[in-house]
Amino acid sequence: MPVAQAAPRTAALLPRLLIGLALAAFMGYLVVYVIYAVQLLRFPFDYDQGEGFELMDTILFSHGEWPYRDNDAYPFYSSNYPPLFHVVTVPLVWLFGPHYWTGRLVSFLGTLLTAAAIGYAVGRGQPRGRDHDPGRARGRWWLAALSGLAFLASNYVYHVGPLFRQHMFMVMFETLAVVALAVVIEREESDGRRRTLGLLGVMLLLLAAGYTKQLAYATVIAVFLFLFLRGPWRAVRWAVPFALVTGLLFLGINVATHGQWMLNTITANLNPFVPGQAEGLFRQWFGLHIVLVTAAALYAIYQLYATRLSIYAIWFVVATVNSVTAGKWGAGESYFATAIAAACILSGLAFDHWLSWSAGRRWPTPRMAAWAAVLLPSLIALLYLWQARQVFHMPTHTPALAAVARALGQPDAVMIAPQTSCSLPRPPEAIPYVDAVGATLLGRPPTAADTRAGQQIAALIAQGDTAAFSEDAGFNLYLGRDVVTNPTQLLNLYTNNAVDLTEMLAMLDAQAFDTVVLRAQFYPSPVLDVIGQRYETTDLVQMNGFVYCIMRPR
Amino acid sequence: MIITKRQLGGLFILLGVGVAVGLFAIDWLGAGQFQGIGPAQRLALLLAGGVVLLGLSLLPLGNRPA
Repeated sequence: MPVAQAAPRTAALLPRLLIGLALAAFMGYLVVYVIYAVQLLRFPFDYDQGEGFELMDTILFSHGEWPYRDNDAYPFYSSNYPPLFHVVTVPLVWLFGPHYWTGRLVSFLGTLLTAAAIGYAVGRGQPRGRDHDPGRARGRWWLAALSGLAFLASNYVYHVGPLFRQHMFMVMFETLAVVALAVVIEREESDGRRRTLGLLGVMLLLLAAGYTKQLAYATVIAVFLFLFLRGPWRAVRWAVPFALVTGLLFLGINVATHGQWMLNTITANLNPFVPGQAEGLFRQWFGLHIVLVTAAALYAIYQLYATRLSIYAIWFVVATVNSVTAGKWGAGESYFATAIAAACILSGLAFDHWLSWSAGRRWPTPRMAAWAAVLLPSLIALLYLWQARQVFHMPTHTPALAAVARALGQPDAVMIAPQTSCSLPRPPEAIPYVDAVGATLLGRPPTAADTRAGQQIAALIAQGDTAAFSEDAGFNLYLGRDVVTNPTQLLNLYTNNAVDLTEMLAMLDAQAFDTVVLRAQFYPSPVLDVIGQRYETTDLVQMNGFVYCIMRPR
Repeated sequence: MIITKRQLGGLFILLGVGVAVGLFAIDWLGAGQFQGIGPAQRLALLLAGGVVLLGLSLLPLGNRPA
């Protein structure tokens, strides 16, 4: 057999081996994600500070009540998020009661659906319309799988995916809307027939995203920019009714809540911008997702100059620019999740395009063609392996997981000091969780000790007769008592001069609450002042890496 | 009707110029925190310049669909 043919035949195993390794690495992250999700589903208290308030919103909806309320009067509680995620979770609360696992499960399943949609988008390959490389082959299953799994392997998606938070549910609707739009437009351009019903479905998904979380406006902008490029008048014809329906819904809820909807979802979200926070998160996001982001950006530039801009390219650019809002006080890494979803799709399509270009190219010799067929997929698999290394994260709380971490050259624990705000600093402790992000309190599966700590705090509150004035909702919910205050919401409103604290301060001054529970001292300064004057710390309890201060009347 | 590369380039130029004019208008209206051009304005002006350059680079691509 000639050397020219024998070498590639033997070497043909190389891309299969590397693709197999890349798939194994990302499947490993999926296993880790499921472990974390299962541990969270079992944990009956707040893991992330906002979770209990989202459960509270769901409980209010399950009683047919709005969570957009007057913060000036007891129990000084209101939500600052749109309703859809909580409404979707309501049937689970009706069936099983007000448990944290209900919303965590909904959010977790939402991320799996998002990953499936990403895989589907990449698996369909390049658009095959009249203007887009007509006649080329379909996408590649392994690229589709890697793209979908890469989304779930992102540190940011891992951290917040299984939490009782609405953010990833919004990303799910955004992704479904964008992928549906790509399918609808591709089909329209392939046979010239309009698909109004399909586009209506896209609009409904966009509406669902916006009424899950306000941040979806970026995807709405991307979709209408894309429609504008493909047909300005058609874009306007869809934009007007979309804006009308969105606005009418907004007005309807605002009237039904006597203006509390506007105050709590818009005014309370006008937070100060912290440039250093935005810059730090951008650097971290790029470093963690370097392969996905670079490939996506290069492919967007290629489309801008060489072919036509796809919805995915526009979505990626708009979502990335909008990620600057992660610099708002109270925002964070999850604000990059939409850009990550877009990068996963666009990078997958970029690699697919590259492979198709190589396969369709007339190479000078058959030997070169054979080597290109070997080396290019190998290189792409290596890039995904590099990406897998960049996002390394793994709980190490079992001997098997710790052994895997060590075998991969990683430590099996990280020293992190418990987070204190109302008590003295504590020395660092070994945390059985390793993350490329660095020292983080998100991502570590909660333990039995954390559950016992939550029960201990609840027991301390139960010694009194009243609901606790607490920064976490979970303890009052556990005891079946009122959830009093939403601290970050109060702080946002106080910063915007949109809340009257008179009644709350009077109740605290009169020691109307038997217990105060602080975790991060998010309350407005006058509230913290009166707590300091009228209450004293009696117990310190550590849960999930935070030291909670349990305070009683002086 | 579709938008062409040249038209998209024109839109980028309009956007960049509009942002730059808006940034100066902030000073004319006295809404800025700093005397003259502040650090955030300087960064935004740089970005607006980049958008204008991006638009200019698209103009030679003519009537190809964007």
